Amino acid sequence: MIRLVPDHSARIQRSEKVPFTFDGVALMGCADENLAAALMQAGVLHLRNAPGDGAPRGAFCMMGLCQECVVFVDGQSVESCRLTVSPGLAVKSRR
Amino acid sequence: MSENHDIAIIGGGIMGCAAALRLASGGMAPIVLDRGDLGQGASGVNAGTLSLQIKRVRLMPYALKGHEEWARMGDAVGFRRTGGYTLAFTEREAELLTERQTLKAEAGAPIEFVTNNQVLSAEPNLTRRVLAASYCHEDGYANSSLTGQYYRGRLREASVPYRERCAVTSITRDTQGFVLHTGGPPIKARRILLAAGAWLKPVAAMLGVDLPVNARINTVSVTERMPPLFATVIGHATGLLTMKQKGNGTILIGGGWQGRGTPQEGRGEVIADSLIPNLSLAQFALPKLGQARVLRSWTGFEANVPDFYPLAGELPGVPDAFVLGCVRGGYTIGPYIGRLMGDFILGHSPEMPLFNPGRDFEKDAT
Amino acid sequence: MRDIVDISIVGAGPAGATAALVVGQTECRSLLIDEQRQAGGQVWRAKDRSILSAPATPESRSGDNLRERLAASGVSQMTDTRVWQIERQGEHWVIHTLRNGTAGRLYSRAVILATGAREEAQPVRGWTTPGVIGLAGATALFKQSIRLPGRASVVAGTGPLVFFVASEIRRLGGTVAAVVTPNTRADWLARLPSMMARPDLLWRGGRWVADLMLASVPIYWGHAVKSVSGDDRVIGVTLCRLATDGTPLPGDIGIAADSVCLGGGLAPSIEAAQLAGVAVRYRPDLGGWVSEAESDGSTAREGLFLAGDSCGIRGAVAAELHGQIVARTALRHIGQASASDPALERAYRRASRFGEAMTALSVLRADPIGLATPDTVVCRCESLTRRAIEDEIESGAVSSNAVKSGQRAGMGPCGGKYCQSSVARLIALQENRALSEIAPPTPRPPIRPVPVSALAGDFDYGDLPMPKPAPL
Repeated sequence: MIRLVPDHSARIQRSEKVPFTFDGVALMGCADENLAAALMQAGVLHLRNAPGDGAPRGAFCMMGLCQECVVFVDGQSVESCRLTVSPGLAVKSRR
Repeated sequence: MSENHDIAIIGGGIMGCAAALRLASGGMAPIVLDRGDLGQGASGVNAGTLSLQIKRVRLMPYALKGHEEWARMGDAVGFRRTGGYTLAFTEREAELLTERQTLKAEAGAPIEFVTNNQVLSAEPNLTRRVLAASYCHEDGYANSSLTGQYYRGRLREASVPYRERCAVTSITRDTQGFVLHTGGPPIKARRILLAAGAWLKPVAAMLGVDLPVNARINTVSVTERMPPLFATVIGHATGLLTMKQKGNGTILIGGGWQGRGTPQEGRGEVIADSLIPNLSLAQFALPKLGQARVLRSWTGFEANVPDFYPLAGELPGVPDAFVLGCVRGGYTIGPYIGRLMGDFILGHSPEMPLFNPGRDFEKDAT
Repeated sequence: MRDIVDISIVGAGPAGATAALVVGQTECRSLLIDEQRQAGGQVWRAKDRSILSAPATPESRSGDNLRERLAASGVSQMTDTRVWQIERQGEHWVIHTLRNGTAGRLYSRAVILATGAREEAQPVRGWTTPGVIGLAGATALFKQSIRLPGRASVVAGTGPLVFFVASEIRRLGGTVAAVVTPNTRADWLARLPSMMARPDLLWRGGRWVADLMLASVPIYWGHAVKSVSGDDRVIGVTLCRLATDGTPLPGDIGIAADSVCLGGGLAPSIEAAQLAGVAVRYRPDLGGWVSEAESDGSTAREGLFLAGDSCGIRGAVAAELHGQIVARTALRHIGQASASDPALERAYRRASRFGEAMTALSVLRADPIGLATPDTVVCRCESLTRRAIEDEIESGAVSSNAVKSGQRAGMGPCGGKYCQSSVARLIALQENRALSEIAPPTPRPPIRPVPVSALAGDFDYGDLPMPKPAPL
């Protein structure tokens, strides 16, 4: 089939995979990759529960505004879309 | 076309609305006017602390009555009686605490002194560096954000008309009373009550009266939702900190640190040089606060006169005009003193004395 | 001693970065501040360090080129730095920053705010489900991490962005389950004359659409996503056709997907300028509430200038030119000779025409709240439904501030960015008032959430500047 937009997926080289955890679950992600993207890639979409109805929520704006992707690292709340994966990073949620 | 009312109330904050409700129940037909929305001035943006430990000694009887009013309003205003601790961290603050809370207790507030072990067993997340503390089981808070919603409902229920975004630009007299000029048709009223908070000075000037009203610009901040960290209202011996954690987990931090701006400009600015020490003091009292993110800081204009006692009575030199405002602890006392003011205008003798707006302010000034 | 910069520039997107390059050619001291790790803004967002190599795109080339020019220019950059408040102190502006968990302050004689835009969202049932991301959010994911939002994505929204996102998903090897846009082919044809100003961009967009058609990706013109299904992740969406006035027509279409990219056009980021005292006005044709500034960037506040999309959405090309114009204005303000350049201004006007045509297409044709059912969450932070907000309005809360006070819409962590347009719309509908009469809620600092520990820092209790206690 003719593609006017080529498929570049095979031409992307990424850094080595490193282990990190989300609520204690072991995951692998590319070193220095954006955490929200790495979580999404690892199939972790549900990052928090909404106040009120307790509904699952995940990353939405990807630019540090909506606060939907907030997780906890060392007890401090941070937007996962503004963090990067590092070996041994322990990410917690308040799910 | 114009309308006629028994009394026009300029200012739809707690005091203006409470007075309107009393006047309506006493048979008068009031109208409430506000330059913005109801309850969006000091009534709606203060930290919501209901603490007898930070009330002035002479106003204590009014504050005690105020607490009864808030308890009655209950859930509709987010009222919670949690008890409250006032903390001192240095010798000088401990002295101040002892001196002040003793006088307040003598004035009728159920305040007791407690050991720092008692404080820590009740509030284990507070700092270990408490040197002295007092406790008052009457203390608590309400949600000041709900002021507008609450009084809008009460006024509607009582069929009291109100106008929002209706700034009075000038006031003239006719044979029947007052004519209030606004953007829309003039509003006529036989009497007038000025309850415009920090905007009292320009409003009184429309009637040729110079009220010595100043505005304090108090800073308040709120954090994101946090797990439960403390249950009571936390204050500081100097009065420069109030802190409470709401049912939803957010932590509200006040203490009267000063921002910048004037009511006339309509814009109060949060300044970092006040906000930072305010939050530092809060974090000192509650170290785990450090992990909370501040979501919003804002300022509210609190009106006062040089002696820091209320204006509540007849506007000097203008028959049928009244003024109510500048109450230190106005959130706590507002609903009660508004009712007293209503009684006074209705010609009844109020339960407690009012405060003559024509007094010599310099005499009692501290 | 206090260090004073001549011109600080907040935002290193096309407007801010090119402004910095102009200022960098003079003797004056400047500083370029941005919350991302590298300059580029949203449109030219830099790659994560996790990407060792990847084919270049027009966006990555523009971004890399900009970053190289900045590096060569010697412009001082302060990246990974968030601005949480801006205040005037005497003769200077003070920019309060947050970097690595530490608060700082910068004193500046003049400030250029180039804070860009945020994305508007259209609340529909299920839009809060994990797996739904913004269209602009999707572009961030592609540009920064070169990742896909899922295996099969529905891409829905307005203007050219919807086709860019769909095309990028194809380029990165993903599957586009459907493209859904409220714009019709006739809407696009109507803008054709303005788009002729940039035949290159027109050609590029044409290729995106042709590729999608060749790949048999369904394109639903004149449609919108009505609801998203799934509990803790997306499993599908329901579409509906829109009438010419934007109201939904009967006849639902179901599409299976594991992810949705959903956008409703861009809106100027005005909060920083508002906190600095700049008024706003309603310009729906430029994205909604925009900051009041002259075309040369000057504002009613002395020494404060605005550049780029924050004064109206006109796109990256116009922003780049505007940054250069505004830099000259700021230089003149601090006493540097810098003549205005008529050719530059002409180029800006030309680029603006193209950008404004794109913005017109991006402004939601559909009623932005029309697809929200009564139980649809409108305020994400506080999980407030359309019904809760309408009840509050019904009870007499008829301003953005009043709804915020009564229901907390806008009091959550996003500060109202993702609900204020919807709330205003609901007030307008219920009160039969124009949107221009319903001002956004009063802005409050911090511009971004700030940890208390960052503000308090390490301090000695005795050093706290405690004022006199209140009267007894």
